[in-house]
Amino acid sequence: MTLRFDRRQFLMGSSALAAAGAMGLRPAFGQDGRLRLIFWGGQDRADRTYKVADLYTEQNGGDIEGEFLAWNDYWTKLATQVAGGNAPNIIQMDYRYIVEYATRSAIRPLDQFVGGPLQLTDFDEDQLEGGKVGGQLFGISLGANSVAVLVNNTAFEEVGVEPPNRDSTYDDYMAMGEAFNSANIRGGMKAISDASGTEPMLDNWLRQHGLALYTADGKLGFGEEEAVEWFRMWASLREAGVCVDAESQALDTGAMESTMVILGKSATMPSNSNQLVAYQAISQDDLTIVNYPRIAAGAGGGHYRKPSMFFSVGGSEANAQAAAEFISFFVNNPDAAQILGVERGIPCSAAVREALAPTLDEKSQIALNFVANLGDLLGPLPPPPPPAAGEIDSSLLRTISQEIAFGARSPEDGARAFVTDATAILERA
Amino acid sequence: MTTEALTVVGSRGSRTRRRIFTVVAHVLLVGASILMLYPLLWMLASTFRPENEIFTSSSLWPSSWSIDAYFRGWSGLRVSFGTFFLNSFVIAILSIAGNVFACSLAAYAFARLQFRGRNFWFALMLMTLMLPYHVTLIPQYVLFLNLGWVNSFLPLVVPKFLAADAFFIFLMVQFFRGLPKELDEAAMMDGCSPWRIYWKIIMPLSLPVLATAAIFTFIWTWDDFLGPLIYLSEMRQYTVQLGLRTFVDSTGQSDFGGMLAMSVLTLVPVFLFFLFFQRLLIEGIATTGMKR
Amino acid sequence: MTARSMETGVSATGRAVAKTGVWARIWQQDGPGYLFLLPWLIGFFGLTVGPMITSLYLSFTNFDLLTTPDWVGAANYTRMFTNDPKFAAAMRVTFFFVIFSVPLKLAFALAVAMLLNRGLKGLPLYRAVFYLPSLLGGSVAIAILWRQLFAGDGLVNQFLANFGIIGPSWISNPNYSLWTLIILSVWQFGSPMIIFLAGLRQIPQDMYEAASLDGASKWRQFWKITLPLLTPVVFFNAIVQTIDAFKSFTPAFVISGGTGQPINSTLFYTLYLYQEAFGFFRMGYASALAWFLLLMIAAFTAFSFLTSKYWVHYDD
Repeated sequence: MTLRFDRRQFLMGSSALAAAGAMGLRPAFGQDGRLRLIFWGGQDRADRTYKVADLYTEQNGGDIEGEFLAWNDYWTKLATQVAGGNAPNIIQMDYRYIVEYATRSAIRPLDQFVGGPLQLTDFDEDQLEGGKVGGQLFGISLGANSVAVLVNNTAFEEVGVEPPNRDSTYDDYMAMGEAFNSANIRGGMKAISDASGTEPMLDNWLRQHGLALYTADGKLGFGEEEAVEWFRMWASLREAGVCVDAESQALDTGAMESTMVILGKSATMPSNSNQLVAYQAISQDDLTIVNYPRIAAGAGGGHYRKPSMFFSVGGSEANAQAAAEFISFFVNNPDAAQILGVERGIPCSAAVREALAPTLDEKSQIALNFVANLGDLLGPLPPPPPPAAGEIDSSLLRTISQEIAFGARSPEDGARAFVTDATAILERA
Repeated sequence: MTTEALTVVGSRGSRTRRRIFTVVAHVLLVGASILMLYPLLWMLASTFRPENEIFTSSSLWPSSWSIDAYFRGWSGLRVSFGTFFLNSFVIAILSIAGNVFACSLAAYAFARLQFRGRNFWFALMLMTLMLPYHVTLIPQYVLFLNLGWVNSFLPLVVPKFLAADAFFIFLMVQFFRGLPKELDEAAMMDGCSPWRIYWKIIMPLSLPVLATAAIFTFIWTWDDFLGPLIYLSEMRQYTVQLGLRTFVDSTGQSDFGGMLAMSVLTLVPVFLFFLFFQRLLIEGIATTGMKR
Repeated sequence: MTARSMETGVSATGRAVAKTGVWARIWQQDGPGYLFLLPWLIGFFGLTVGPMITSLYLSFTNFDLLTTPDWVGAANYTRMFTNDPKFAAAMRVTFFFVIFSVPLKLAFALAVAMLLNRGLKGLPLYRAVFYLPSLLGGSVAIAILWRQLFAGDGLVNQFLANFGIIGPSWISNPNYSLWTLIILSVWQFGSPMIIFLAGLRQIPQDMYEAASLDGASKWRQFWKITLPLLTPVVFFNAIVQTIDAFKSFTPAFVISGGTGQPINSTLFYTLYLYQEAFGFFRMGYASALAWFLLLMIAAFTAFSFLTSKYWVHYDD
């Protein structure tokens, strides 16, 4: 607390009008029992969330003020509010950023509330674990999801090959790719997108090899040898025309509407189980999901059930308990669950899940069944990623994979650069 | 509109040449217009398309027509888009008043008055144009937070009345300096105060640049999203740009049709504003009858 | 520009005059200027200077947005020049963009403004139409539009295919992607065009009348009358557009989804700065980047002002 006060004091002191501010012009962050809730998402998510908030205030009183933004805007605004000492009480948090926020004490540990205002009795153990940083609980998972391959069923029908299934291996995808090439549908649609720069795909592949992206102490979990093998594999897929070419793949900027399946460049691509519904809404074809390819028949353990997003608690100490109570309602109340559906992922409370299952539409059912039946594909939960993981993903892996794809580097050279630079970034952070 | 009459110099041959020139100019302009507008026409067409066709079709003709996206966009968010329009208007109009008034005062001082430290202040003013806003975002937020202005229009409007936008000062300085100096010298001889010179001579003669400033202020505040994003939290206060961004979330379900439809609608007021105000721009000097 | 001579004059006589007289004199000479400048001065000291100085201070710290900043001396500046390949990439991209987009945009804007300044029918409409693209600003829709135009199967390539040319995917090929952003910048030439138009309107018509009576060709009139009288506006547009281009953020952010892809070929300076600040929590480093950018722009602007004596014609 004192740290934060100091910082604000410092930032205040630097501005010429701070004197006026300090002399009692009403500060905007006065607390009056109101909870401020901030989350990213579209209108659909907002409607559901606000309905639950209304339901909660009807039953428990109080006042909840919600605010939602698109993903790209969200982090700028959240960081500004937190840095300004005006953090919201309930903050939707991403798996990637939770470490950043938790290690810098920008969100509060919730352990003291568990069992009291925060009921987590039949909460999935792995989902609880996923919300911990340094042994303390910083985020309550709002839904489990898993990485999955998004499959364009219609395209596979047109080509006349079986779409990938639970047992498909990378070699099987190679065969599908050849079928796609000889069928040449829709101006040369490929079987798969180029996922050499997709961090979860690499992670999954490493885990099937018994390795990991990062070790528990925050080091790189693999070496140059594996990196070479990975980039070589994709180079050969690219050469064989099984995956899309470099120019097509580079159209993907991370937004859903720029992805290979939506642009009709490839029939499959790596995605997440909770995004099937959203993708279906902007595609004319019939879509489904299936697990990531296996490295060999019978190999498994690459997947894990990942918290799709969390609620964390920020802002004033005084409101922390009220915030925890609301979160508890949000993840446990059956009526709330009916409103929320699986829009944020599969609910983590077993009771809620059971009550919800029969009411879902077809695509949501697929997502739920997929996450519930991972079976031998499921491996242990990885340790939370080190703080620099985001930088390695967005500015290193993606760039190097593109350099290789465009022919600016050889797979060997790229692998070496990746391991050296990633190690350097991890050491610096 | 008077150039034609003025420059025509009698002979029949040059008149036909003029006519040919006019036709060629129109052909060129229409062609250029189409090129300029094609992307916008595509956007317009997309608002009538089925949602799942938007990203795959590049034709200007939707496979089936529907104006559903407009209704969805207008009332699909928790607050009607009409409210966003109103908010944007309020902010834009106040900003225009602030910018035209405050910036012209400062510009007059820099362009026409002699005082010590003038170049120093001018350089400082230009410097404020040069720093990327991302690094002043947080200190500024803290400042407005302490003033209790966050969650209101004040952080978006008050700076305009304090001439915080150096672009417009610089713009007006350049134009004021282009006005004949004899005008204020003569007025000064007659014992006019600087205020009277500013108000009675400079301002009326500067209609084109004031109109330009008004147009730009309107468009830029209309298009601005970072300021509103940071300082407005309640949807009732949102501007159109914030509303637009709310339609699309890159990680989940989005309403692209609604976003594009509302994008088209938000262009309409700016377009009309521009059409209207550019008249001032053109008339300006011609009607004041100033000649040298 | 006579301020300096007057200054010395005042201080010389000032000593001879009684105290009250000094103040009255100062008031008489400087008062009106500062009075007119007052709103700006209040805004400058009340709203602008504080955040600017804070960011300058932060550039010497390791500020990470969420915890108290620690002083690290010039470490951020050292890292920029010795240990940051992405900084070098961002500099290359930005300078390339400035060098090509600014002259192209200005030339285009001036040409169209000249064309639109003639007595053609329907001019208000043309002006508005040409301004329309600029109205779109950095809207989200731009990203979708530009992909429709410049992707491998986009409209541009469909057009080129008529001539048997198979174009690359312009927007996602690192060799061309920056050019699509330059085209976007030139396409939105509306603001400088309007400023040129306003400037052209300020040129008295009788000068042209006199010139054409003397038999001067249009081309000669342009070089001898239009351009010289337009130099204050050209100067303004050049400075402002260059500053804008150096700071250009939104187009690259919208089109590349904030990534600067492909292979950092659209990693604009401010986009990189933004990534560092809000993506990787290094606001201290980002502030250092920002102040270095300010120094570069200031040097460019100062140079322009120094040379402006030789080619910008004011009426004073």
